[in-house]
Amino acid sequence: MSAVVLSAEGLTKSFGRREAVSAVSFEVREGEVFGFLGPNGAGKTTTIRMLVGLARPDRGTIRIRDLDLARDFRRAMQHVGCIVESPDLYRYLTGRENLLHFARMLPDGALGRIGELARLVALEERLDDKVATYSLGMRQRLGIAQALLGNPDLLILDEPANGLDPAGIREIRLLVRRLAEERNISVFVSSHLLSEVEQMCDRVAIIHRGRTLAAGPVADLLDRPGSDRYRFLVSPREKAAEVLASHASAPPAADDGGPGLDVRISRDRVPEAVAALTGAGVAVFAVERQASSLEEIFLEVTGGETV
Amino acid sequence: MKFFPLVENEVLKLLRRRRFRVAWLILTVFLGIIVYGTAQGRERFRGGKPWRVETQERVARLQTWLRSGRMMASSERWARFEISRLQYHLDRNVDPEAISGPLFVRGFANSASYLLLPLLAIVFAADIVSSEFSQGTIKLLLTRPVGRVRVLASKLAALMLAITLTVLFGAAVAYAIAGMAFGYSGWEAPLLTGFRAGGSVFDPAAIRAIALWKDAALVFGLAWFAALVVGAMAFLCSVLLRSTAAAMGTMVAALVAGTILPRVASSWEAQKYLFVTNLPLPDYYSGSPPPIPGMTVPFSVAVLAAWAAAALLVAFTVFARRDVLA
Repeated sequence: MSAVVLSAEGLTKSFGRREAVSAVSFEVREGEVFGFLGPNGAGKTTTIRMLVGLARPDRGTIRIRDLDLARDFRRAMQHVGCIVESPDLYRYLTGRENLLHFARMLPDGALGRIGELARLVALEERLDDKVATYSLGMRQRLGIAQALLGNPDLLILDEPANGLDPAGIREIRLLVRRLAEERNISVFVSSHLLSEVEQMCDRVAIIHRGRTLAAGPVADLLDRPGSDRYRFLVSPREKAAEVLASHASAPPAADDGGPGLDVRISRDRVPEAVAALTGAGVAVFAVERQASSLEEIFLEVTGGETV
Repeated sequence: MKFFPLVENEVLKLLRRRRFRVAWLILTVFLGIIVYGTAQGRERFRGGKPWRVETQERVARLQTWLRSGRMMASSERWARFEISRLQYHLDRNVDPEAISGPLFVRGFANSASYLLLPLLAIVFAADIVSSEFSQGTIKLLLTRPVGRVRVLASKLAALMLAITLTVLFGAAVAYAIAGMAFGYSGWEAPLLTGFRAGGSVFDPAAIRAIALWKDAALVFGLAWFAALVVGAMAFLCSVLLRSTAAAMGTMVAALVAGTILPRVASSWEAQKYLFVTNLPLPDYYSGSPPPIPGMTVPFSVAVLAAWAAAALLVAFTVFARRDVLA
């Protein structure tokens, strides 16, 4: 197993009487993309702020490359590049001036990487324009270039897809995968979108109300038994519901007036369900697999508690 | 990690903001207006009379005014003092209102020390930390492998540099513009300085003649010091309030209150320990009565230094410890 780059142990942080983060623990290993998944307000950003030293945990320790962040801040942070919440840079400076600015805060050598990084994030042509003229996607990429200036072992990105269009999201996703695979950088990505984490990450931890609920490889988490959901576009609906009730692992949801019936049914039982429907004289127009949503995984891991 | 590149960063950010250029532009325009006004006013002031005659008339006018008994205590003190000062000049046959380029420069330092220069210092200092919060860039600044104390120290260094440059710039522009109106020579002229009012008593013992350039350098030094102290206080506000508008508002309110307070509550002795009361120290170094009787230049320097040190101590402590959640 590869080395642990970041470990958080028992992180706890309260604001007044409200405990925003409770005993959160996880490990990020070398070269993996680690997803930190949870709905808005679950404590993701608070956790990230503690990981990068912006906020002090009430309890718990953070170790980066075996350096205690609280005691060895400067040496620990030499291994980290990050974007917290949004890619905020100096809008009145150009992209290059921003990179120069943050390179000056790093050990020598960072200055020489500016050109290469601008190429990596495809910003070469706009590098001498003011950041105020950049699109959000460009600022996000400049933020990543900034984070990479110090040649970090660990990249921490907070909701990198927020506010981006599908093309922008795809660019970021490909960039993150490349960094992990080609440069062996560990990437810690927070997100509230399951699909994003599913496509980008190797392992994932789910955080809900300040607690980590489940952690493991993404595939394991998504392939929980009985979590498959299919939508049947059928007519007539009432009759179809009767037929499907005997095949599905859970009864069809009540009629929501929507175009189809959502049924929880395992994949290998779909053909026989279709056959049964046809046999009963129900017209089947389409059967679509529904991506299992974050909410559903929450329903499962929390045992019915709503998000 | 070297310190100089951090200061370089902060200076770059200060210079690239529009506010810095605007401040210098305001300073230039302002000086132009004062010089013009001074040149205009002088002609009317003298009314074509020789300076001795005009000065004697002024003394007489002040005496009549004093006898009328309709003055506030603070103006009465000023009037007595002014009479003694004018008389002293008359006795030694020196024009109290003589003006030249260099004299104007010195006068500018006097009058700029308690509003204009502090205001400019506030404009630079008020957003030096808070703008990083409002732009969100504080999250990047404090997640680099640089300690928070060093980050803040680099900001303080850049601020002091900006204030110093502004004072020097003000002096240079004042000299350039005033020289056009009143002539560029006169740095060597002797100047009567050190008038001191102990209560309403005029004390000639401390008066000395000093070459103008020495005196001007001293006055500028004091004005610069006062601006630095105001900068330090505004710096603290910027750290504590995390909002440029709030920091600027607080500091301007304090300044304005400081110029009003000695006038409306001159009997409140303890105000001499407030930092704003001590700001016009170049002014009473060079002859005006201090806001509160008994204040001296060393006293004011000590009070201001104590305020600045306390402000910086609090600013650094808070900045180094506080969670950044903005």
